[in-house]
Amino acid sequence: MTVTDSNPAPGNSADTTAAGCCHAAPSATPRRSLLYQGLTAFISTIIVAIPASLGGLFFLDPILRRQKSAGAGKAGPAARKDENGFIRLDVTREAVPGDGTPVSVTVFDDIEDAWNRFPNVPVGSIWLRKVGDGPILAFNSICPHLGCSVNYRRAENDFFCPCHTSAFALDGKKSNEVPPRDMDALEVAMRTAGKDDPAGSEIWVKFQNFRRATPERIPI
Amino acid sequence: MNALLNWLDDRTGVRKLLHEALYESVPGGARWRYVWGSTLVFTFVVQVITGFMLWSAYSPSTRTAWESVFYIQYEMTLGSIIRGLHHYSAQAMVVLMAIHLMQVVIDGAYKAPREINFWLGMVLMMIVLGLSLTGYLLPWDQKGYYATQVTTNIMSATPVVGAEVQTLAQGGRDYGHLTLTRFFAMHAGILPALLVGFLALHIYVFRRHGLTVHDPKHAADAQFWPDQVLKDAVACLAVLAVVLTLAIFRPAELSAPADPAVKFDAARPEWYFLFLFRFLRFHAVEALGLTFGAIIVPGIIMGIIAVMPLTERILGRAGHFLNRAFMWALAAGVVVLTVLAFYEDANDRGHQAALAEAHRDAGRAIELAKSPDRIPVDGAVALLRRDPFTQGPRLFAQHCASCHRWNGHDGRGTLVTDALKPGETGEPPVTLPTAADLGNFASREWMKAIVVDYSNHFRWLKNASWYTAAKEQEAKGESVDFLNPDASEMADWTSGNAEALKAPENAENVTALVEFLFAEAARPGADVDEALVAKGRSLATEGSWAGALNGTSCSSCHDTIGQPFPAQVDESSGNGYPTMAGYGSAAWLRDFIRHPDAMRHYGSKNRMPAYSPEQLTDTDLELLVRWMTGDYPGSAVADYPSMLDRLPEKK
Repeated sequence: MTVTDSNPAPGNSADTTAAGCCHAAPSATPRRSLLYQGLTAFISTIIVAIPASLGGLFFLDPILRRQKSAGAGKAGPAARKDENGFIRLDVTREAVPGDGTPVSVTVFDDIEDAWNRFPNVPVGSIWLRKVGDGPILAFNSICPHLGCSVNYRRAENDFFCPCHTSAFALDGKKSNEVPPRDMDALEVAMRTAGKDDPAGSEIWVKFQNFRRATPERIPI
Repeated sequence: MNALLNWLDDRTGVRKLLHEALYESVPGGARWRYVWGSTLVFTFVVQVITGFMLWSAYSPSTRTAWESVFYIQYEMTLGSIIRGLHHYSAQAMVVLMAIHLMQVVIDGAYKAPREINFWLGMVLMMIVLGLSLTGYLLPWDQKGYYATQVTTNIMSATPVVGAEVQTLAQGGRDYGHLTLTRFFAMHAGILPALLVGFLALHIYVFRRHGLTVHDPKHAADAQFWPDQVLKDAVACLAVLAVVLTLAIFRPAELSAPADPAVKFDAARPEWYFLFLFRFLRFHAVEALGLTFGAIIVPGIIMGIIAVMPLTERILGRAGHFLNRAFMWALAAGVVVLTVLAFYEDANDRGHQAALAEAHRDAGRAIELAKSPDRIPVDGAVALLRRDPFTQGPRLFAQHCASCHRWNGHDGRGTLVTDALKPGETGEPPVTLPTAADLGNFASREWMKAIVVDYSNHFRWLKNASWYTAAKEQEAKGESVDFLNPDASEMADWTSGNAEALKAPENAENVTALVEFLFAEAARPGADVDEALVAKGRSLATEGSWAGALNGTSCSSCHDTIGQPFPAQVDESSGNGYPTMAGYGSAAWLRDFIRHPDAMRHYGSKNRMPAYSPEQLTDTDLELLVRWMTGDYPGSAVADYPSMLDRLPEKK
């Protein structure tokens, strides 16, 4: 607690009078006490800090929201989606060629985008593959490298991403060092009339997207 | 730290700048009366911070503006607070600006050599008013839409170039996407940039001439820092506290999504423009034309303020006195007109009814937008257009309320009244309904009233002119076919059996019959007692009553009772009695509104107009029927209060 030399008032009383009323202490260059300056700086800071931090929290909404209400307020699942997230495809087992040639299929689902809800719209595409009477394999067509689209190369008989030349064998295993991991295989369930049935011809796929550029598969 | 500051100072001269900014002398000491300019700068800073944040979530188009503001307000973290801060700081800015201007004139701060700064201040005032005007439209709600319509229409009253000015502001002949993109560009880009520029000039010139000292002998001279800064900061903190309190406890309003097809009778400008609104409503002003009231008069006022420095220069002290007198008179006028506008609105029943409807629509829109189905691609306005709870009352008021009532009112919460005769004053008389009150249509009470209280239930019909005419004809001995609540087979059955119906031995039978009739109406979500329904069904079809009533069944006249509607579809069908097949159900009601005169309904006794699809489209019929039968997602929004007790019984 220092009082400037030129200030005749003793101790703190100068501060109190100055803050309380308009009777300023006589001073030209000499400053008020540190407390007085500190108080001024403090109030000046908080009047800007309050709106700025409120604004900052508002801006962080996309991060705060996930923790606050993950999955809350979701509508009932689309008619073709079960409670485990499996989506029924338009194609059936019979429509997938038995010679191992992959086919590209569009997946439909409901999209919730901020204030809108778009029912039954394309949400992505997958590659389906079947060898003989073997199981159906499904791969997300998004490249695990940086998110371009993986194509089927008939000449090479492999999967290939034109952006950064990621290449994968038809079973999804990566065949060069560009991608960080294999293609993202998706869970498949064969069903009849919506009931699990290994011999059924309905194809249900748990459609998911995964983080790109990581060796592990992390669902988004 | 010091080394870093030195390094920075060598290259930028930051110390000198800070010194100049902070160590200005305040002759006569720091004073509270000097804080207003600083609070204005502070509110502008708040607007910039909150404005940028809102920008990060706002989407300017007619199908996303309301929707994104809804999302900000009701879904986003602190969204309501950020929008509230922006909303109330804007109003604080206008208030503080008015105080600032008053003070400048009273203290003579406009006098030479500060004329230029006075004019710069006036430019800033125009920019701030422009910001508040453009911002009001951005949520694209009914309130902003219709209030801004008024403003752009006033623009069109500008002499010579009016139409062009309006088209430019709107981005076209009508309001649309481009109105929003242009208003948004003005509000978030052009006007703030101008404001920053002019504010810099304003502060620069202010510093050049220094403070206009009110009383140099008030106290010893002080420094801007920290003496005046502390007072300024405390004042800003007080402003922030007020604005934040309002934002928390009275969140900014979002009315229903803008719909050019839906009237908005509650349209008012933002409260600080109410004085101008009220001024324009004076008959004397109206008579002189919109250009006079909305452009010439405000122009003259601004002109008088602008030439104040010259007035003072020419007339000296008398000029300063005139200027101050003008400001006080202006302030008094603004206050009086504002109070008058508020007072009149509070006592204007029409305006209050419009406000009630606006709140109902707003609440419903928000409720629907929050539902799990969210907002469709065609926008929240489509949610309301497809909502029976919103559209039903409007359709009822438009098509039905000239004869029927809904809980005593016209469906939209307004009593139907006769016009006052020329020269009459006071409350206009309430118009008597001439058909049933449908507020409880197809409810248990409705069904019970038909069974045990038929004459009374339909007593309103007796107010109709066709009823009076028919009674006169009847008195003359002519034969007339008409619905007589007092004398018809049904009326006779009810009144003739009144005692038996009220006898304790039939109490449960009546309840059962009512439950059966109610179940026949199949109201969505209605919970019925199946055992009672079965019992009621046998009463209706077999007449298994107790006592004197035994053997009288509904089906001996209403032969299709208990069957789904339509029991018989061909026009010739019907046995002369109204069908009770699915009575009160949506299918029955749809058919009845289209063909009340069909043989299966009232036939030749009918007096209700048949609503063809040309008068009432299929879509509207569906909305009306769904509303009347309660077929819509329930609402927590308060409905219009019943006005049954305000209906007079007789003419």
